[in-house]
Amino acid sequence: MRIVILGFGAVGQGVAHVISLKKDYLQRKYDLNPQIVAVTDSSGAAINPEGLDEELLLNTKTEKGKISSYPDYGVPGVDSLKVLDEVEYDCLVEVTPTDIDDGEPARSHIIKAMENGKDVVTSNKGPLALSFKDLDACAKRNNVEFKFEASVGGAMPIINFAHETLAGCSIESIYGILNGTTNYILSRMANEGSSYEQTLKEAQEMGIAETNPYQDVEGIDAACKIVILANSVLNLPVTLKDVEVEGISRITSESIALAKKEGMLIKLIGEASPDALEVSPRLVRQGSPFAVGGTLNVATLKTDLADDVTVVGKGAGSVETASAILSDMVNIWKKRK
Amino acid sequence: MRFNLVLDLPDVPGQLLEVLEPMGRLGANIVAVIHQRDVKTERGTVPVQITIEGDKETLDKVMGALESKDIHIIEVDGVLRKEQITTVLIGDIVEEDLQDTVAQLNQLKGVRVADLDLKMSDKEGNSATKMVMEANSGLKKEVLKNVKELGAKKGFLVINEV
Repeated sequence: MRIVILGFGAVGQGVAHVISLKKDYLQRKYDLNPQIVAVTDSSGAAINPEGLDEELLLNTKTEKGKISSYPDYGVPGVDSLKVLDEVEYDCLVEVTPTDIDDGEPARSHIIKAMENGKDVVTSNKGPLALSFKDLDACAKRNNVEFKFEASVGGAMPIINFAHETLAGCSIESIYGILNGTTNYILSRMANEGSSYEQTLKEAQEMGIAETNPYQDVEGIDAACKIVILANSVLNLPVTLKDVEVEGISRITSESIALAKKEGMLIKLIGEASPDALEVSPRLVRQGSPFAVGGTLNVATLKTDLADDVTVVGKGAGSVETASAILSDMVNIWKKRK
Repeated sequence: MRFNLVLDLPDVPGQLLEVLEPMGRLGANIVAVIHQRDVKTERGTVPVQITIEGDKETLDKVMGALESKDIHIIEVDGVLRKEQITTVLIGDIVEEDLQDTVAQLNQLKGVRVADLDLKMSDKEGNSATKMVMEANSGLKKEVLKNVKELGAKKGFLVINEV
């Protein structure tokens, strides 16, 4: 399986890392030999039709900061769309930075690959949250696989879980903690009694919250995931503007203390159901499946036959997110073989 | 016949006696009393399970007596009598807001504000209040919707249960 990785940040590097780690395993278990034939970042690309060396890719990025410095096969300044045109490959891994205004450049990358008859795996929420229907239709029209397990909940299985493991159940609604950064902040505030501002600062110092935390703390990131789940699991044709969003920046230590008195915690909960599409701070009972701490993500699927099913997992992290991408790649391979 | 009751009692001396007295007086046979003080809520109440035996007439009289004493019956034979609904509001909350909100919620049929807790903050817009409401079972969705609308009108952030 020849792979092109567009974007070589934390997730892209994670993908190279897990491919390198699991080479023998994939060969033995699935007869799958993933070959990275091209990688791009903002500096350009590294291209080798015979396959690039994963460790050398990672070292080049760490030491030089640019993938185009890859020895012998580096191509500075080349455009990603051009790479897709010129390189022979089977599967695109689209992991460029997320843009929630127009979903670009990821959206164009994905469409281009599909129109060229290539399968696509992505963790990119932007294009999915803004134009799910178009991308889904494009994949069907071109008869290619389009998988995005890593876009919701990182390593926490949910989309493929709903489609495959829970096949036969109708899923009525989904509730979940879908953003690790806000869960970390709210958990710390509950444990330490600290203020929102102080806890956010601490999370930034630890690298858990970004310097510009807007998309996380105002619930935008969670809202994107709710849109993806609503479309892919509940078949609701919605986009980001349909979600009612309230973040956590108005949550005070006083309110958390009051909730605790009643045996409850405040969590940022996303809800997708036919009557509500919402991200908002909600009360959950201590000791309930939603009372998870740290950066963990959790989701409950309400089904007709199996009643409530809850999954928990790591919502972020380079290797963890890459594990979901790898699982999509393996599933595509099994189907194509 | 038997009734399995779950009661929510304040954790102060004499409460259990208050409950048991009408049972004995009216002729109901007490089969079991489970008094779990270790699962006390921070509001200071303790759930108590009591099983009583007797003919239907006697048991109905006992239930009537408990209700007239304002004893909080949570469950009868595993069926919730009342649901407790908790909500937290954040904002520039002043006394009038609370009075008004409580009055409006109490006007809903089958709903009663059972507990109210307020934490004032010196920072503007940071005060918080917690309300515990009791509603006849089945009303939860409607109550939550009402709270949300009331809060939105006053510009409060409403944090409802999932």
